[in-house]
Amino acid sequence: MPQLGNLALAIALILAIYSIVANIYGARRNAPDFVVSARHALWAMCAMVTIAVVVLWAALLRSDFSLEYVAAYSSTTLPTVYKFTSLWGGQQGSLLFWTWLLSIFTSIAAFQNRRRNPDIAPYALAVLAGVAIFFLLMMNFVTRPFDLLATVPAEGSDLNPLLQNYWMAIHPPSLYTGYVSATVPFAFGAAALITGKLDDGWIRSTRRWAIFSWFFLTLGNMFGARWAYEVLGWGGYWAWDPVENAAFMPWLVMTAYLHSVMIQERKDMLKVWNLSLIGLAFGLTLFGTFITRSGVISSVHSFTQSGLGPYFLSFLITVTLAYTALLIFRSKDLRSPAEFESYLSREAAFLFNNLMLVGIAFAVFWGTIFPVLSEAVRGVKITVGPPFFNRVNGPLALGLVFLMGIGPLIAWRRTTTSNLVRSFAAPVAIGVATGIVAAAAGLRQWYVLTAFSLAAFVLGTVLVEFRRGMNARRHMVAEPRAKALVNLVAKNNRRYGGYIIHIGTIVAFVGIVGSSFFRTEVKKSVHPGDSFTIGSYTLRFQGLDETDTPHLESATARVQVLSADGREITVMSPAKLFFKRPQQPATKVAIRSTPASDLYVVLAGIDDSGQTATFEVFLTPLVFWLWAGGLMMVFGTVIVMWPNVRERAAIATALSRSSTDARELADAAPGGE
Amino acid sequence: MRAKLTLASSLVFLVAALFAFLSPELKDVSPETFAAEIPTNSQVSEGLTCQCGCGLTVANCNMPTCGFSVPMRHDIDRMIGEGKTRAQIIAFYRHQYGEKVLSAPTTEGFNLLAWTMPFIALAIGGGLMVFAVGRWHSSAPADSKPGAPPESFDPELRRKLEKELEERR
Repeated sequence: MPQLGNLALAIALILAIYSIVANIYGARRNAPDFVVSARHALWAMCAMVTIAVVVLWAALLRSDFSLEYVAAYSSTTLPTVYKFTSLWGGQQGSLLFWTWLLSIFTSIAAFQNRRRNPDIAPYALAVLAGVAIFFLLMMNFVTRPFDLLATVPAEGSDLNPLLQNYWMAIHPPSLYTGYVSATVPFAFGAAALITGKLDDGWIRSTRRWAIFSWFFLTLGNMFGARWAYEVLGWGGYWAWDPVENAAFMPWLVMTAYLHSVMIQERKDMLKVWNLSLIGLAFGLTLFGTFITRSGVISSVHSFTQSGLGPYFLSFLITVTLAYTALLIFRSKDLRSPAEFESYLSREAAFLFNNLMLVGIAFAVFWGTIFPVLSEAVRGVKITVGPPFFNRVNGPLALGLVFLMGIGPLIAWRRTTTSNLVRSFAAPVAIGVATGIVAAAAGLRQWYVLTAFSLAAFVLGTVLVEFRRGMNARRHMVAEPRAKALVNLVAKNNRRYGGYIIHIGTIVAFVGIVGSSFFRTEVKKSVHPGDSFTIGSYTLRFQGLDETDTPHLESATARVQVLSADGREITVMSPAKLFFKRPQQPATKVAIRSTPASDLYVVLAGIDDSGQTATFEVFLTPLVFWLWAGGLMMVFGTVIVMWPNVRERAAIATALSRSSTDARELADAAPGGE
Repeated sequence: MRAKLTLASSLVFLVAALFAFLSPELKDVSPETFAAEIPTNSQVSEGLTCQCGCGLTVANCNMPTCGFSVPMRHDIDRMIGEGKTRAQIIAFYRHQYGEKVLSAPTTEGFNLLAWTMPFIALAIGGGLMVFAVGRWHSSAPADSKPGAPPESFDPELRRKLEKELEERR
């Protein structure tokens, strides 16, 4: 079986190389047969990588320890679900999984473009195959997933206990999907540069891919934060760890891209900027992989460190240089008859929004690489941790939130001062009132007051925008309120789905501010029957339950939670786990979540007699809203991506016309906000 | 205008109700609050980075058997008990382990670049943007009229609604 995996990967590499040659030859010599053949080669490549994945999965599920990978990341006692997820628990497996996703997305892109984009699709598919070749080279020659051990061990080393959690079943696949799918719009952008077809056809063709990528990056970041919250046991969810940063940066840049392409679709401006952003987003996904796998920067998430760093760095540098060279080569063709009439316009709001998003991405990048820079320049190792990122990004986040409120209510081209006052009177009043109410409630920190005021302002602008749309429908189509709301969103899904994403972002922002500024904690060592308090809760330690399985030992505490009036609310069960195979302890936190606050209980220690347990308890306000906001963002993105017949027709027409015609259609296309 | 006032006042009421509900949870616990008081363990350990390889701060490293953060948190408790300030305790550890133990760069020398560069880059980016916009602005047609206000009848929405009505007929 392992030989089948190796063979499949070798054939996949040959097919990827062939598809590049055939695609480029076919496109240059106008030989459609070669292009078709190249497309078939890509589908065959996908089939080969799928075979390799199935072989590795089968080996993991059968605990075939003759494979080095299986012996290193699995064991006979590992629950089946984690045997399945250990495909992405280690270096070679996660690279194989990455390549598999890439081959699937490449195949889908090839299928979607079998009859459209005849000029740029062969080059885009060649770029996608080029990226696949890099990963296939790694797996064929550098870090092989099917290497065999000389002596087969009776038992495997097991998966890292931190990865034996259900969030790890969905967090890496989500993040990888986000990372890898960003390759498709990048490939089409590169193809547009190679061919000189620089109208917005490539943007329209890959808009859903970009949103798809953003959607999964959002999910990946959210799931990762939730994993950290439940597994790492420190009461927080985001530590500005380099690997977290590596996932956050492409999200920021992709967010900027999704906003700025609207300007190109609408006004044929910012061609260079949009091409640069998609190149940057792709580069940052490679940078993230480089960080995770190189060990250059230490991280709590670096489960797959190896000697791959130099290869990834070389690939990253090559891609960056080639793409930049293409941008410079095409710079004259990328000039457009740009018109910008006023700073009081939606274009300006989007430009400033881009500035802030890319500014935050740069600050995160800078903080992430500064330790390496410091060591290179001064020879002194330093750490850049949460205090730096919070202090630098905090004010920038406020600016970004402010711009989120400005964008929706300001007109394209330009707006008059009187219109501005009329549009913003209610949202500003809501924001100011929120600040006053928050101050009256006893909040004194300027950041919190500003953040809550701005959040209310943004929610106000979105609500005003929904109200306007509903009123327009009620007046013109005579619909009742509820129907008007549903139809408004359904018929303008891109625009109003976007507003729902804004609401989700703001709700998550309020959750982040609340949970960052108002967390309290208590650490207590208690005997069974003892109580202690945190906030309005009283916690009574009732005792320990111990279990022993072939896989792990656990000690679970029973903690009764009482309200201020002595009523039992719940019994929580934090635990200490000891994984037998890697001989590694871990904690299992207990969380009681309410919209007001989370009660987060960690069993920090048990004395040798088993009579005294030490608890670390956190009371974190508003953290519930971070996850709720994330769900709203997901819901909004689903609405944005929902197939829209009119938009599809507009895209098809735009692709068949010149760029000028396509620009005119942008105004007619639904949701061309 | 009346509808706007109703919307605004309902939202203000909602916000007030929310704060009334949450105010017991939102107690000020920021480091600034304790500046003049005895520091807590987490206020000190938040400023120090665990050296076990987890990459977290000493406050956040939750490995039960961590050979660095667990004893350090005990030592911090002891030093707080001895009346030492946050700055004194952090200076002690900096002397012992070097700069790498601090969870953020200092604000002196080369490290100053860490703090200033994001804002310098933002200023340069903003300057370039204003420069580009200035060039685009000068090429804009002079006779263009202001965009229609996105008031209750957004022209785009109106156009789409009219089309929808047409389709229904």
